[in-house]
Amino acid sequence: MTILIDRNSRVLIQGITGAVGSFQTRVMKDYGTRIVAGVTPGKGGTEVYGVPVYNFVEEALQEHEVDAAISFVPARFAKDAALECIDGGIRFLVVTTEGIPDQDVMTIINYAASKESIILGPDTPGLISPGKCKLGVHPDRMFAKGRVGVLSRSGSLSYEVGRLLTESGIGQSTVVGIGGGPLWGLSQRAILKMFHDDPETEAVVLLGEVGGATEQEAAAYIEKYMTKPVVSLIVGRTAPRGAQMGHAGAIIEGEEGTAESKIQALRSAGCLIAQSPSEIPTIIKKG
Amino acid sequence: MRLLEFQAKRLLSRYGIPIPKSVLVRSPDDLRKLSFPVVLKGQVPVGGRGKAGAIRLAAQPEEAMAITAELLNSSVKGYPVSAVLAEEQVEVKQELYLAVLIDHLVGQPLIMASATGGVDIEETARKSPEKIVTKHLNHFAGLPDYVVRHLAKHTGLKKLEDFRRIVNQVYQIFRNYDATLVEVNPLALTPNGLVALDAKILLDDKAAYRHQDLFARLQEEQKGSAKSGKTSAEQLAAEKGVTYVTLNGNVGMISDGAGTGMLTLDLIQDAGGRAANFCELGGLAGAESMRQALEVVQANPRAKVILIGLIGGLTRMDEMADGIISYLEQHGKSRPLAVRMCGTKEEIGKAKLHMVGIEAVDDLETAVNTAVKLVREPS
Repeated sequence: MTILIDRNSRVLIQGITGAVGSFQTRVMKDYGTRIVAGVTPGKGGTEVYGVPVYNFVEEALQEHEVDAAISFVPARFAKDAALECIDGGIRFLVVTTEGIPDQDVMTIINYAASKESIILGPDTPGLISPGKCKLGVHPDRMFAKGRVGVLSRSGSLSYEVGRLLTESGIGQSTVVGIGGGPLWGLSQRAILKMFHDDPETEAVVLLGEVGGATEQEAAAYIEKYMTKPVVSLIVGRTAPRGAQMGHAGAIIEGEEGTAESKIQALRSAGCLIAQSPSEIPTIIKKG
Repeated sequence: MRLLEFQAKRLLSRYGIPIPKSVLVRSPDDLRKLSFPVVLKGQVPVGGRGKAGAIRLAAQPEEAMAITAELLNSSVKGYPVSAVLAEEQVEVKQELYLAVLIDHLVGQPLIMASATGGVDIEETARKSPEKIVTKHLNHFAGLPDYVVRHLAKHTGLKKLEDFRRIVNQVYQIFRNYDATLVEVNPLALTPNGLVALDAKILLDDKAAYRHQDLFARLQEEQKGSAKSGKTSAEQLAAEKGVTYVTLNGNVGMISDGAGTGMLTLDLIQDAGGRAANFCELGGLAGAESMRQALEVVQANPRAKVILIGLIGGLTRMDEMADGIISYLEQHGKSRPLAVRMCGTKEEIGKAKLHMVGIEAVDDLETAVNTAVKLVREPS
């Protein structure tokens, strides 16, 4: 068992016929993910790499059992697609889409919560349980099977750290991107709890960045509940205040948003602090 | 997008929220519509105007025109005053605070009010947070009346009706225009009831497609308000839609992810250098995006070397190499390049770069160290 998905998870893909959706369908299938159906309105009856395409989620669910879904639907239609998925009763949805309006994201995450569905994202690369299953866009050869859980706001940073861990012979149980923010379905705290409860995870790497207060919330959880070691890296230490550094979340406004205050909160919660990705494997081997 | 004060107040007024009688001053004639004294307020998209001297009082029209001319030649924190709003002065008995915003951590709207609003609200929030009452709303349930009554009780207002109407309208603006913040500060208690004396509204740029006419009009009105002294690299970045921030150092940088981009800034500083900029390509970039980013970064004369750090998930390294090569064909190696390349199709990308004499490395820290060393060497 890994967190959120395993090798038996049956997956539906929303936006399967688009350029990114179809390419990633092939990559995930090659990795061993059980993709059972795809949905694109108006493209029902076609196939993408052998996966049947439907016009509606409901039609796909009449033919297939589905445990999880991943959406590559463009920002303007992302809310509608997510609501369709949730109404279909799919319990776990990864929303990769970047640039969804905040009010739509609030609709998605609050509606999901009311229907007991779980949203990962938006603006996330998804998640990968190396050697088992991938529900996302991670470049998979940077990752290897093992017992360290990784969670990250940034996709690229999780690739960077995954690659260094793998090269040092440290495999990963699951690598999760929560998304670029500023709004999230699953929070850092929620993923930490899953790693805490996962018998296959022995240590956790928490990758954060400047902006917002989500690392402080994670630190409070770690201090109170976490018994597994947590290594943390916060990027953007040298980023100027008030400047937007790519991610919607990565803009330093209040004191809470500074790297300094995040590092301090995590350190006093008992986390081991890395200054750069290359320190992370060393810290884990020592710990 | 941050609205200028007069734009924000126009929106409030459209929703029936009282604002002082006012005009945008374009000629002396405009001022005849008002009774004096008036408050003249320089329009800039930043806070701290009062302390910067951009809010002034005028007793009669000649004085008002002189001050207006003065304000139009001034700037606040680098933002030129593009327009001057003249408002009839009102008698203020109490300054309240009212705001609706998105609490990102909770994923719900948050409403806040205080009996002690005005310019010192941030200090109040720090020193006596109990003076600000906050309440989370439910995105689906809207604004319940008990919440309004709760806020009214806390602010000590005697007449509920006015306040109830204003709070509900502020919430409607927040919902109808995809705002991430609607703040009325101060919401002044005057002999004639409650009046919005200043307002700050932030609209979600991601939702601009839903409000195209409004965004177009607001942007047109803000044309003169852009921060002055834009560098040629910043202008180019704005034209090409490249994410670019000018920094103080001399190591130019391009990254294909926001997280690794910020990491690169940190590593440059740890290695003893300083980044000249932040530039991020975003997940779906192709060869042309890479070429344009290089154009932008090299337009900054302070960038002595360009560090390209790529770790592709969605980006393909063969395409990134094509972008770098097409840039070199136009500009040659006017600046030394240090390239880190890793991820999808990296073998092809590296082989392509090798053909033009660039050896891409696997490791980001190695590339950073090379770049920092290159700027130190006398050229």
